[in-house]
Amino acid sequence: MPTTSKYNKPATRRKLSLWEKLYLFEIVRGLLTTFKHLFRPKFTRQYPEERWDPPASFRGRPVLVLEENGVERCVACGLCSRVCPPLAIEVRASETELLKERYPVVFEINMLRCIFCGFCEEVFPEEAIVMSKDYELAFTDPSQGIYGKDRLLTPKAQLKDRLDFLAKMRN
Amino acid sequence: MPKITIDGKEYEAQAGQTIIQVATDNGIELPHFCWHPALTVAGNCRMCLVEVDKIPKLQIACATVITDGMNVKVNSPAATKGREDVMEFLLINHPLDCPICDEAGQCKLQDYAFDHSRGVSRFVEEKTHKDKRVAFGPNVLFDGERCISCSRCIRFSQEVAEQPVLTFVNRGDHVTINAVPAESFDNNMSMNVIDICPVGALTSRDFRFKARVWDMSFSDSICPGCSRGCNVRVGVRNNEIMRLEPRNNPNVNEYWMCDYGRLSTYHAVNDERLAGPRMKDANSLQQPTDNDSAARRVAQELSKYKKEEVLILGSARMPIEDNFLMLKLAKEKFGKQHIPFIPHISGQDERKLLRADKLPNAMGATLMGLVADGHYQHVHGEKAANATVLELLRSRKIKAVFALAGNSLADAQLLEAFENVEFFATCSSNDNVTSRRADVVFSIAQWAERDGVFVNFEGWAQQLRPAVSTKYYMRGRDQMHMSRLDRFGSPYDKWARSNKRDAREAWRFVQLVAKELGSMSDHAQHWKYQHTEEVFDEIAATNPEFRGMSYEALGDMGMPVASNKNAIVQPKYEEVSQTSTMRVESVGSVIL
Amino acid sequence: MIIEALIKIAVVLLVVLTAVSYTVLLERWVCAWVQDRIGPNRVGPLGLFQPLADTLKLLLKEDIQPLMAQAWFHWLAPVISITVAFTVLAVVPFGHTLAIGEHIIPLTIASNINIGVLFLVAMTSVGVYGITLAGWSSGSKYSLLGGLRSSAQMISYELTLGLGLLSVIMLSGTLDLNGIIDSQVNGLWNIVRAPIGFLLFLVSSFAETNRQPFDLPEAEPELVGGYHTEYSSMKFALFFLSEYANIITASAVMTVLFLGGWHVPFVDTLGLSPLVMTIVGVVAFTLKVVGFLFMFIWVRWSIPRFRYDQLMNLGWKVLLPLGIANIILTALEKMYLMH
Repeated sequence: MPTTSKYNKPATRRKLSLWEKLYLFEIVRGLLTTFKHLFRPKFTRQYPEERWDPPASFRGRPVLVLEENGVERCVACGLCSRVCPPLAIEVRASETELLKERYPVVFEINMLRCIFCGFCEEVFPEEAIVMSKDYELAFTDPSQGIYGKDRLLTPKAQLKDRLDFLAKMRN
Repeated sequence: MPKITIDGKEYEAQAGQTIIQVATDNGIELPHFCWHPALTVAGNCRMCLVEVDKIPKLQIACATVITDGMNVKVNSPAATKGREDVMEFLLINHPLDCPICDEAGQCKLQDYAFDHSRGVSRFVEEKTHKDKRVAFGPNVLFDGERCISCSRCIRFSQEVAEQPVLTFVNRGDHVTINAVPAESFDNNMSMNVIDICPVGALTSRDFRFKARVWDMSFSDSICPGCSRGCNVRVGVRNNEIMRLEPRNNPNVNEYWMCDYGRLSTYHAVNDERLAGPRMKDANSLQQPTDNDSAARRVAQELSKYKKEEVLILGSARMPIEDNFLMLKLAKEKFGKQHIPFIPHISGQDERKLLRADKLPNAMGATLMGLVADGHYQHVHGEKAANATVLELLRSRKIKAVFALAGNSLADAQLLEAFENVEFFATCSSNDNVTSRRADVVFSIAQWAERDGVFVNFEGWAQQLRPAVSTKYYMRGRDQMHMSRLDRFGSPYDKWARSNKRDAREAWRFVQLVAKELGSMSDHAQHWKYQHTEEVFDEIAATNPEFRGMSYEALGDMGMPVASNKNAIVQPKYEEVSQTSTMRVESVGSVIL
Repeated sequence: MIIEALIKIAVVLLVVLTAVSYTVLLERWVCAWVQDRIGPNRVGPLGLFQPLADTLKLLLKEDIQPLMAQAWFHWLAPVISITVAFTVLAVVPFGHTLAIGEHIIPLTIASNINIGVLFLVAMTSVGVYGITLAGWSSGSKYSLLGGLRSSAQMISYELTLGLGLLSVIMLSGTLDLNGIIDSQVNGLWNIVRAPIGFLLFLVSSFAETNRQPFDLPEAEPELVGGYHTEYSSMKFALFFLSEYANIITASAVMTVLFLGGWHVPFVDTLGLSPLVMTIVGVVAFTLKVVGFLFMFIWVRWSIPRFRYDQLMNLGWKVLLPLGIANIILTALEKMYLMH
């Protein structure tokens, strides 16, 4: 004999009227509802023709910021790589004559692994790696999923939205 | 025996010790920057402040000699506040550029900032700017802004390296360290200052920015650079050795290692490796092959010749296990009494670390029963002739050679003499003159990819441990230290897949050849070793010098062989040892 | 005669196969519209070539046979399904008659069968073998469960189907489908004369064609794909085809039985030529069928699936008594209202 407790008490049901019990008319009501939707305006975005411009808070593909003088901001500290939960980022540093002393020789983000968490952006105080608006990531080969410096470096001007957003959120 | 009380607990101490020594001996860690057990006491970082009863002001534990019944409070509010204030002072002009600092992850200042500081700074003014990237010498770079003026490097240059060219310059917050004008800090121990620097002020030109500390896995091993056999810690990232750093072993190298060993020994593991076994085809061109057919070829070729026409060469670059089995092969199959190895003496013995004998295991090979070339007696027919390998080859008495390892043909004369040899088989880890000359070459593991035992020139048996994984040594399985990448990555990751070399311990190939030869006679049952440790266990059982030894007993610190009875195994402390020279001298030897 | 029949077969097959493909397209469109989406519109103008693309895709897929499958039956099952689905169409009258000169061609493939209704009921019952066999021969638990559910459901709802049909037969007094149409042409459509019979038949048709809300044999959340879980490529396509062919057949049969087939009321009074009359008839028939098809699809995207016990309750405790009552009602109607 099953006991009735707080957790397994029987579900209470509303008493149905005869009209509702007949069911048939309720079906018709449902059919009418769906029929009305046939003529509603559609939500579909015709993707390749109509593209979406994400807001500044959107977390797309992480990119490296390229300063106006053609040098990347990144100092290859490896904090992004350290904090990256799926181990998607690999950084190999080397020395440069510039004031910043070090720069990334190899900076690879494995976009097959990236989970767009934005930790890499958050961990770095100088905003050298930020989340871009790029969401169009499709590869025909797994090797294309590994983004090297050549594809990661993005001029600062293109990332203005995100950099402004970060500056705003920081204060 | 005087007794002192630290935080309410009583400890026995020896007269003349300082508080920090007693604390460290009893496992209490007092924060400190400038104090180093192998250096004199300077007492200028003020980090080890403790409260001592009946003394009104806080005392530095490193320079306060104990008295009987002394009552020391480490964690009293006054002492804690004192250390917090010291930390705040030290951090005033520190640039806090940890993200780009090589020391980050193993930095005392970083650690203490967590453990012993308030976590906030009241300093809002501009920090001082000093010279960055100052070259002290060929291998050491100095960053003035990061320096906390602990003077460890200065004392090291005076006391250990005995090349007193480093000194403080300027006063107050402008104080910085520099080499004496027109002098360069270029001795062979110079890079140890990088290890003892508690912050990232001193960096290695070789390692600078190559890897972050937390990306590397560190495995304990032995430096193969010379017969000293310094204990080292091997830093590996992406299965490539990034750097070596010394590991304290009071019996061998204390806290130090030489720049030669640090800089020159790891390239052979990383670069120019053989892809796998190779064998010369009918056109005398080396082609890739597999180990079994290579071993079969060696066995066939060697059995073509008379026993006295075959020369078996050992190698003092290889651990004793390999030499042991090579000698066993020579005895069983070729009737030899002993086999030679070619010594490699270059330069002079240096005062402290580097030895002229550049082979890490010359003593071990000798203990195994090998003889250095020159003392080798080649039995030819009835008479035994004392001749060097070079002379033997030139006399064309030798038709076939099976060598254990090493670039034995780096010597031009020897290379020329080898033209007289009809068949030459060798084990080699790198692509070099020897491996290119060989008719059959087995691809063997480098020192950092395997287990094994080296015996240093003083008779210390010490253990090699794998730090780099091969196709046969796996990090997870073989108890190698794993960095975060290794632990959380998948087998398809770059760092898990790349550079896994087809290299095994040399004795495995000796065993393969022995088995192939044995199929013609009836000795096959002896050759059933599965792991290097089994070979060592047999050595320990048969050779009285190694009696009672095992890999477990050797541990991190090694053991003296039986004939080296004077040696005493001493306990190991990180940075601390009771026997290291503790000279409590006047603080005035250092300008501050 | 034979040539005439062959031509009719060819035309009907061609039309029905095309219709099946476009029913799929219609299904996807209606589904999208109900969900406020646009639906397939990429392949060709308005996405009209989508069925071609789908067919091509299915043809190019790998034909996989599970290790534990009974090879021969696994192959046979879709064949049975598709054969039955198309055989039923043999007795359905698409229009009245086409007169070419002296020659008068009835627009039914097997026009001389006078027990069309029996043939219809018999053949649809065979259809369940295809599904059951597929479920059993796949060697997969999901398939087997799908097959079992299918047979149980078919047996339960065939009774209701038969009872619904019986009222029509009683009213028309014939088993000939053309005769049934004639009786409606001369009198009222059966949907008016036997509304409860129509309702019963409609509900059972949904169940017999495994359509929502009765699609338990292929309930995706429970059974992956049901009886066709282990099918791929063209063999899967055959099931797919036969399923939609069954819907078209059911629509056509309901048109014939209850909506007067090709009959359009009051058109006779306009005095059109026989050829135009035939064309009007065929168009009317087609429109009625499309209407039913839309109904099928519309219901699918509106009503959730029944639970298994609800399905059985509905079949045995509601529809069956209702069907028997309906027979009595129809008999009374026949006795007192007509003649």
